Amino acid sequence: MSLFGTTSGFGTSGTSMFGSTSTDNHNPMKDIEVTSSPDDSIGCLSFSPPTLPGNFLIAGSWANDVRCWEVQDSGQTIPKAQQMHTGPVLGVCWSDDGSKVFTASCDKTAKMWDLNSNQAIQIAQHDAPVKTIHWIKAPNYSCVMTGSWDKTLKFWDTRSSNPMMVLQLPERCYCADVIYPMAVVATAERGLIVYQLENQPSEFRRIESPLKHQHRCVAIFRDKQNKPTGFALGSIEGRVAIHYISPPNPAKDNFTFKCHRSNGTNTSAPQDIYAVNGIAFHPVHGTLATVGSDGRFSFWDKDARTKLKTSEQLDQPIAACCFNHNGNIFAYASSYDWSKGHEFYNPQKKNYIFLRNAAEELKPRNKK
Amino acid sequence: MGRKKKKQLKPWCWYCNRDFDDEKILIQHQKAKHFKCHICHKKLYTGPGLAIHCMQVHKETIDAVPNAIPGRTDIELEIYGMEGIPEKDMDERRRLLEQKTQESQKKKQQDDSDEYDDDDSAASTSFQPQPVQPQQGYIPPMAQPGLPPVPGAPGMPPGIPPLMPGVPPLMPGMPPVMPGMPPGLHHQRKYTQSFCGENIMMPMGGMMPPGPGIPPLMPGMPPGMPPPVPRPGIPPMTQAQAVSAPGILNRPPAPTATVPAPQPPVTKPLFPSAGQAQAAVQGPVGTDFKPLNSTPATTTEPPKPTFPAYTQSTASTTSTTNSTAAKPAASITSKPATLTTTSATSKLIHPDEDISLEERRAQLPKYQRNLPRPGQAPIGNPPVGPIGGMMPPQPGIPQQQGMRPPMPPHGISSYVYLVDFLSIHINLSAKYIAFKSTVHRPTQSIFCVLNVFCRSVWWSSSRHARLPSWCYATIWAGTANGAPLPRWASSTSDGNETSCNVARWPLLILLHPI
Repeated sequence: MSLFGTTSGFGTSGTSMFGSTSTDNHNPMKDIEVTSSPDDSIGCLSFSPPTLPGNFLIAGSWANDVRCWEVQDSGQTIPKAQQMHTGPVLGVCWSDDGSKVFTASCDKTAKMWDLNSNQAIQIAQHDAPVKTIHWIKAPNYSCVMTGSWDKTLKFWDTRSSNPMMVLQLPERCYCADVIYPMAVVATAERGLIVYQLENQPSEFRRIESPLKHQHRCVAIFRDKQNKPTGFALGSIEGRVAIHYISPPNPAKDNFTFKCHRSNGTNTSAPQDIYAVNGIAFHPVHGTLATVGSDGRFSFWDKDARTKLKTSEQLDQPIAACCFNHNGNIFAYASSYDWSKGHEFYNPQKKNYIFLRNAAEELKPRNKK
Repeated sequence: MGRKKKKQLKPWCWYCNRDFDDEKILIQHQKAKHFKCHICHKKLYTGPGLAIHCMQVHKETIDAVPNAIPGRTDIELEIYGMEGIPEKDMDERRRLLEQKTQESQKKKQQDDSDEYDDDDSAASTSFQPQPVQPQQGYIPPMAQPGLPPVPGAPGMPPGIPPLMPGVPPLMPGMPPVMPGMPPGLHHQRKYTQSFCGENIMMPMGGMMPPGPGIPPLMPGMPPGMPPPVPRPGIPPMTQAQAVSAPGILNRPPAPTATVPAPQPPVTKPLFPSAGQAQAAVQGPVGTDFKPLNSTPATTTEPPKPTFPAYTQSTASTTSTTNSTAAKPAASITSKPATLTTTSATSKLIHPDEDISLEERRAQLPKYQRNLPRPGQAPIGNPPVGPIGGMMPPQPGIPQQQGMRPPMPPHGISSYVYLVDFLSIHINLSAKYIAFKSTVHRPTQSIFCVLNVFCRSVWWSSSRHARLPSWCYATIWAGTANGAPLPRWASSTSDGNETSCNVARWPLLILLHPI
């Protein structure tokens, strides 16, 4: 371990070494724990693209660092490298060839980290923390898209310090997703905009939000022909909306479902409703996973409109999740997301990233 | 509302005067609100049914229909949906609706007191005969006593306007009637009965005190009130007000009874529950037209299980709720408000709606040490950062950022050793050095908080690897819970150690790199 220096070693991978205490509930699902996990809450996770052999996981955390691990098929995780920002890292993504990692941070910049040389240079600048960062690879251009709380969406050619394009957002950018040629950005005040990226990025449509609460996460899904066709939007009210861009029958095709709530049927106790912190679609099956502030993750089949699985409750909220490129690994980060405010923050609590085998559990259900 | 014979077209609930689009929904409403046992929450079908159930099952008597407006609480009356509503109530309702439409039309034209007078006088005649019938609910008090409102009425109204100012919660323009009504209304039968034969004057006086009780009326009032205010002749009432303070509750019904007469349209909205009911109905309504205020109902009764709970995990509770899918997005959009308001059965675990969790967190000083501020505390840690800042010997610094009790950093390697309770030797590895008087712009700071008692070292750093050479240390000592008090540490000149005698204090030591 010790690659990252600060943390006292968590030891090798494998089931948690802290699992000895009976009350310890940090890994109830007995998933593989990533070694040397960050010291502060994990903000974002991203797996390497298929162009890179093997699996590499990148995690950005509130400790200002971005860490990279190699995840081997045996489940072993080897810390590889680390880069620092001067502010918490809120977004990470890979370039399509797997050689660069882009990181977005509260220090209002975004950096490009060349893994081969282990150098990071700044490629973007905003007036407020940068929340989202995505790599766009179009036939005629490539760029990095950054969304920030300064209400702009900027597109950067990594070689220039001036953005290629700046698009105004109605409000602060809270989450975004890109699958060429579609991009979705969800902003504060329940704003929702879809962009089309062919030729050059342009606003395609502003959508009236299907949800009634603050947007928190968004993920684009594809259709059977592997083209992006809609997105899943999660809010802080334990609800996810599945929205198709141009469905044959919007009233029937678009729907929302509730998730990450407690005590559903028990009417005597008030139901706790948790925020949906992340949504990720399985690259092969098209099923989705959601993680929430309640410390659980769930797998869903949106076509059959059923839930596939809900995990046990972890003792901390799950802040981020992602699938690897072939869908075999589901990574989720257990760390405090501030859902209960500052009072419940315990900096001594360890932050974990767990890896789970996702090949079987996310198989779609047969339609009923 | 431009339709006549509303009651035939739009079902309404006799118990609380709410309108519904469909009788089925009306029945559901009645079952949920009026015919629900308060003990076991069983929904019955009628008022008498509920009474019988409570008696047989819980051995409890019930004398009033729950959530009913005063005057409509009769548990003996067998009402189911629109069936069973007494004819006179039907008539009243019809009239009320007509008046409302007329009134709204009139409002549009002009707020002319003359018009209003005409209307009132016309209305008064129609009202008088109805003393017994609770018009829209607030009438009940009037009804009972059989106040001889008519004669007194003319006197009453005049006084009302002056009252208005006295009753702040009442809307301006809520004709005098209103103020008195609520108190009487709320207390339902008791007051109405005690009312009989009250001096009209008294009631008016009573109006004032009920001030606090009036607010509930407000919501209901506005709809009907408009014209009353301009009425002339009201001034006389003022005297009436002065008359009686106590026993208000009893009084108000009386005056109100009389007052309404002149202002028929007013009566309707007066009734607080009616007003609320109307408001509620006008509020968000779900696809099944159940007012969305009862969101708990909607959340607990999944509209339609398009998302069957296909759970394999043991978390059955979550799965059952999780699996419900709301109806297509279209219906969802009709629902406005946040769940927090419905609160009774649900609670949003999220601090604030305005900003995101990340924004909230990023505002904390400890996450704000970035580029612009050199030598700022490492992110990972408590407030200390700013203190360290670059200002070495400034005792005042710690107070910035509202020093929180230092929180133990995690995962620190052992660069600092605690020697003993009474004196602390900090032996820094070659990378961390504490000395030097001049402060250059530090690139980062390291703080460590030593809890002397526990001999534990709390330590935080961001780029822990990197303090190149000379720097100096500021040692702050303080209690474990409060803000550290500054004590200037002596820095020795041997370059690697700093020692400071502070006994039994947790220390905050800032090491400033150059």
